[in-house]
Order: sequence, then C-alpha cells, then structure tokens
Amino acid sequence: MTAESTFNLPRLNVVSAIVRRDFLVTRSYRTAFVLEAVYGPLELAVYFFISRTFADVARTNLHGAPSYFAYAAVGIILGAVISAASSNIGFGLRDEQLTGTLEALAAQPVRAIEICGGLLGFPLIFAFGRAAAYLAIAGFWMGLDVSQASWVGLVAVLLASAGALASLGILTGALVLVVKKGQTVAGVAIFAMTLLSGAVFPVEVLPEPFETAARFMPTRFAFDGTRAALFRGEGWGEDAIVLLALATVLVPLSVAVFAAALRRAKRAGTLASY
Amino acid sequence: MLGDLDSTSVLGVRQLTRTFGGRAVVENFDLTLERGDRVALCGPNGSGKTTILRCVAGTVTPTGGAISVCGHPAGSLEGRAAIGVSLSQERSFYLRLSGRNNLLFFARLRNLSPREAWRRVDALEQELELKAILAERVDRCSTGMVQQLSLARALLADPALLLLDEPTRSLDAGARERLWGAVQRRASTAVLIATHLDEDIDRCDRRVDL
Repeated sequence: MTAESTFNLPRLNVVSAIVRRDFLVTRSYRTAFVLEAVYGPLELAVYFFISRTFADVARTNLHGAPSYFAYAAVGIILGAVISAASSNIGFGLRDEQLTGTLEALAAQPVRAIEICGGLLGFPLIFAFGRAAAYLAIAGFWMGLDVSQASWVGLVAVLLASAGALASLGILTGALVLVVKKGQTVAGVAIFAMTLLSGAVFPVEVLPEPFETAARFMPTRFAFDGTRAALFRGEGWGEDAIVLLALATVLVPLSVAVFAAALRRAKRAGTLASY
Repeated sequence: MLGDLDSTSVLGVRQLTRTFGGRAVVENFDLTLERGDRVALCGPNGSGKTTILRCVAGTVTPTGGAISVCGHPAGSLEGRAAIGVSLSQERSFYLRLSGRNNLLFFARLRNLSPREAWRRVDALEQELELKAILAERVDRCSTGMVQQLSLARALLADPALLLLDEPTRSLDAGARERLWGAVQRRASTAVLIATHLDEDIDRCDRRVDL
C-alpha cells in the first residue's frame, strides 16, 4: 500500500466487488437481516408512544419539529445512516481479522481507499434504504408531518452527513487494524456523540459543558440540517455546507491514516493475527 | 529502495531479514527467480518459509533487505498484481459464500469486469475440476476442498509469480495431479513453493534450504 496510491481514485470494479460481497454475506444471515430492518420501526413506535404519553408536557425548543415524536424520528432515521457511516468499517474489518480473510484481502492489488469505499458501500446503501422506509412508515402510519419538507435538502444533508461521518468510520477501521478490538471503544464514543448531539433530545437540556461540546459535533449539524429540511423545507443549506466541508477535509485525511495503519500492521506482521 | 536488484527478474530478494519480537525468523536471505523457475523452499517448522512468502506477497514488511517483484517493490500495487498467492491459512475465504462467489470476489479485486471474472472462474472450474467445490458454501467444504479453492484463487490473474505455501498438504492424489498439471501448463510462471514433501520438491527445478 504505497503512499502515492492512497489518493488515486477508487476503481469501480474493486469497490463494487466489496459491496456485492457484503450484500451476499449479510443476506446469508437471513434472520439478522430481517431483524435489523424491523428494529427501526420498533424504535419509532417506542418514541411514538412516548410522545403521545407526554403530549401535554411543555416542550423545549424542538428545532422546528412539530412534536417530540417528529424530533425523535429524525434521530432514528438519521441514526441508521450515522451508524452505517461511522461504525461499519470497524466491525467489518474486525470480522475479517477474526475469520482470517484480512491477509487474503491485503495480498490483492487493492488500494486503501478502495477498501474503505467498499466497506462503506453496502452498509450505507442499506442504511439509506432503511432511512427511506422508516420515513415512509413514520409518515404514513404515525402521522409524521412532512408537508413542508425539502426532499432535495433532505437528500443533500443525508449524503453530506454520510460523507462527514464516514471519516470517523474509516478512523475506526484504522484503530481496529492497530489495536484489534478498537471498534467497541469507537462504537461507544460514536453512540455517545450521537446521543449528545440531539438524536432524541435537544442539546439545550444538557448540562452546560455537554451543551457547548455538542454544538461542535458533526452529528449536531446532521441532525439540525435534517430537521430543517424535513420540517421547515429551508435553513438546511448551512448545515449541509459545514458537513460537506468536513467531509472534504476529513475523508482524505482518514484514508491516509487508514493507509498508514495498514502499513503499520504489515510492519508489525499482525495482519493475520486477531 | 530496490538497490542492485535485477529488475528483469520475476523475483529478486536481497538480504531479507524479518524479526518478530526481537527474534530473527529470516536473516540475510537471498533469492532470484526468473520466468518459469520452480523453486522449493525447504526447512523445518519455524524456519521462516511462510514469513518469506508473506514478505514477497506484501502482507508482512521486511525488517531489512529488499524485495523486487517484476521490477516493483514487494507490497506495491504493481507487485501485488503480479503475484498469485496461496498461503497456508485455511480460513482465508468468506465462509458464508459459495466457492464461486469467493472466486468471483477475488477476481474482481483484480479490477476485472464481472463478465471477465465469470469467464476466468469458469475456465478454472473446468481446468481444476472444481464444479462441486464452487457450488458449495465454503463453511461446508473440507480442508482439501478449500486448499483447491486457494490454488484457483492464486491462478485467477495469470500471475507472473505464484507463491504456494504447502499447497498439497491436504490434497488427495487426484487433486495433487491437477495442481501440478496446472503449474506445468503455465510454463512462463515462476513458482516458489514452501513445502516439506519430497513429491513437491521433486517437481521443482531446485530447492533452497533454510
């Protein structure tokens, strides 16, 4: 994995091969595949009933969401995309370490950026599909009001969010290459970041230090932008630009770190160990 | 970086040293392979045979020395593209996928189109008589079946250099014949085999003892 090859554009054949493989492997675990798909609607239902239970309670600022359910629904819908972008490379690479395929993969003429792109591909496609399905379920059966939505804005914010947060996923992958079980630590950190950024409660209810920290988290821009696009149909542009800028800077940086981690694992001779 | 290595050789190894935890597993090892060479790498367990193959394949970086594969540094994209490798690990396939889907995956990692990947896998299925293995999920294959699949993977890209780590260890007589037949049909491919078996050594032009 030479340094000069790190920033070459990924080859479509190679990336799509990894995406197809991940689809086939995921599909082979049929029960888990179905359970993962239905988990979101169950979560939506929980917040739907919580929202009905506390319908009369005075609300804090819900960032334009017409109800608490609408607010939390964005957390669940976007959470699927955030989780896919930020966690799946780490878990995927850990699986490769445990099953012994990582060395076989590294022996092929594949660039670091292609491994990253390929490992992100299927989880993101699956997550976008789930997000669309959750949105449809929330809209048709749970009364989520999306009459003001800017669909272009929503897609733009979701794509920019995936790009910005993919860098965290790639860094998690690098951590797994170096310290093996790093995906668990990274997973907890990303979960905490998602929660503190306003996934299911507004950041204004947090104690001061957390509230301040939350304002600088990329996930906060993702949640704010999604809510703006979905419930107001405007005001999402600024968040999308911030996320896009983060993606532009952080993705190449994280790929370079990933390539360095891969080189380090080869120097340490640990690609085949777990 | 490659120093005085002959860039016209398929493989050039100079002063290769690899340490693990301060212990030198390979020390100042030299080797040159030209087109069509068949070399058996021999030595007792722990003598560094597999480590040498891994260094050439680019999955382990040498502590010292230099390796050139078709004029490119070992581990570079070009170096890896020139190599077909079958390492001894049995668990180097995606167990939930069929043999065919595994081979198609590794073929496409070589930047082959889906159609070309299918064509090559079909050709290897015929040549190595892999029909039953390709149809089966890998977690339902025996060790010998997986080893045949591993050889097929190594041959997918028509490599200039074939690295085989104990390739016949779990094979029956018929599968061993098919393996050596496939190697012989690739007359210009250089082959480096780590082995203990006399039959494998006899099939090679020369042996290197570690």
